[in-house]
Amino acid sequence: MTLTLVIAAILAGLAGILGVRSIVTERKRTRWTILLMLVSFGLQLIWLGKRGEMRASCPLLDSGEILVFLAWSISLFYLIVGSAYRITLLGMFSAPLVMVMLLIAKIPGMLDDNPVKQTNVDYWGEMHSAISVLSYGALALGAVSAVMFLVLDRLLKTRDTSSGLFKKMPPLDTIVGSVVRLTIIGLSFLSVGLAFGFMMRIHGGPHFWVAIVVWLAYLLLLGIWFVRGMTPKKMSVFVVVLFFASLSVFVVL
Amino acid sequence: MNLFCLGLNHETAPLEVREKFSIPMEHLGQRSYQLTTLDGVREAVVISTCNRMEVYVAAEDDKLSDAESSVKKNLGFEVNDTAHFYNCRSVEAMKHLCRVVSGLDSMVLGETEIFGQVKKAYQYALEATATGGVLNKVFQKSFGVGKKVRTETTIQNGQTSVGSVALDLAEKIFSDLKDSTVMVIGAGEMSRITVQSMVLRGVKKVYVTNRSHDKAVALANEVGGEAVRFNDWSKVLATVDVVISSTGSTEPVVRASDIEAVRKKRKYRPLFMIDIAVPRDIEHGVGEIEEVYLYDLDTLQKQVDEGHARRKAQVRECEKIIDAEVLKIANQQNNHV
Repeated sequence: MTLTLVIAAILAGLAGILGVRSIVTERKRTRWTILLMLVSFGLQLIWLGKRGEMRASCPLLDSGEILVFLAWSISLFYLIVGSAYRITLLGMFSAPLVMVMLLIAKIPGMLDDNPVKQTNVDYWGEMHSAISVLSYGALALGAVSAVMFLVLDRLLKTRDTSSGLFKKMPPLDTIVGSVVRLTIIGLSFLSVGLAFGFMMRIHGGPHFWVAIVVWLAYLLLLGIWFVRGMTPKKMSVFVVVLFFASLSVFVVL
Repeated sequence: MNLFCLGLNHETAPLEVREKFSIPMEHLGQRSYQLTTLDGVREAVVISTCNRMEVYVAAEDDKLSDAESSVKKNLGFEVNDTAHFYNCRSVEAMKHLCRVVSGLDSMVLGETEIFGQVKKAYQYALEATATGGVLNKVFQKSFGVGKKVRTETTIQNGQTSVGSVALDLAEKIFSDLKDSTVMVIGAGEMSRITVQSMVLRGVKKVYVTNRSHDKAVALANEVGGEAVRFNDWSKVLATVDVVISSTGSTEPVVRASDIEAVRKKRKYRPLFMIDIAVPRDIEHGVGEIEEVYLYDLDTLQKQVDEGHARRKAQVRECEKIIDAEVLKIANQQNNHV
């Protein structure tokens, strides 16, 4: 179990290194980044599967499990978004994030050494947790894309256009498109997750209300973007800030 | 059998001399064939572009000098032209051809157009039966070397004109210019060159405005755009993605307040502004607006200079490849070339 997670973290780290190397040496983007992330994703899935068997429920009951689940959903969306929109550079930003999350999950105290087998499982609650954490994967990648936008925006504004990083970056409007698409996907999953939350035997409490506030904040952000309009820079800053603020949901679990 | 090259280019001859020896593309095959009828000449390929005219000839070893004299005579070579011509033989001629094909001998270092021009000239000569075993091998090998130079070095990286730098930046912001609208303020030569390169990439719509409306109409017609009266340009600003400004005005033409006025209407979409006027047409404050990317002539020229410098730095690498490849070819042919 431990080895599976460590190998998954190493592979994600390698994917990040390859991404950086292709930028520094100005070589063509390598397909190895996607392959490494795919294997890392598979290992995370194996780990979550085994942990789920131990729990006899969705493995989202301690901080370590939440982190691994989040890393898994970031990897999932990276693989989908990376190939669909050809933003493999996203790997350079998201692969190290996955690695860090997996390594933090391995810090003593984050994962229960002896996970308790659940006897009274609320399946609505299980669905709520799984879909909500999945939505966080999309929102996290949206935040990663937003950081990419801010980096490119800065390079364009300071006319620093001769660096390898600038050349490897996808066009600005492609990144903005990604930020918006991922936020929409994240909000959609979050909506479904919240709907499942309403069906839980017991709902309410701070976690519930923080989740509602997060959902409303994302809805408002997208509403402003589509109706009134907003500078892509402001949108990106809000997507990053909102993602980190939304992590407070896990604090009040 | 031996090989020689006789030619002139933009570095050795002024325009009027290059014009004198220029041969239209459609006559290249015929002229190549004519040369093969001269005394001692077995094979010939004539290359003629706006920057060079070169003749590659394969001749019998003992008739090389005679062949050279008859080719010069046939080309209309006079005594005062001597200073403008260069000639090289054997391996040096092969090396020279490789340098030409690789773009190392071009006015814009590393440009790729010359590769196609030489290929076409060779094709014409081949069709006119002016080539044989020697020149076929030499030209085909040189094309291989040219490709190798371009794939193994970065000689063609980096833009070398203000227009191409602006185009690259526009594509970095909007990815596909087919969905973009461009507005040109000032219908001068710089504007024309820059907007034309964008039109070639298929921009959706072009607006042209100029103090003299007739000039705006003329440029709009040339690029398939729409002329806008100079007093009305701010009305179309809300719909455009790229602004190219190059007027002769001594006062700024586009002010930050002009952009501020249409920001909401534009839904704060990115706006790429290219100011290629001296003195500048676009107020400095415009570049401080969040969604505006403002580039002036100095910034663009700096990138052009960097592009040139980057290409120059690659020349040594290219020469190394050419030397090694030509040596390989020469060894293969047992020094028959």
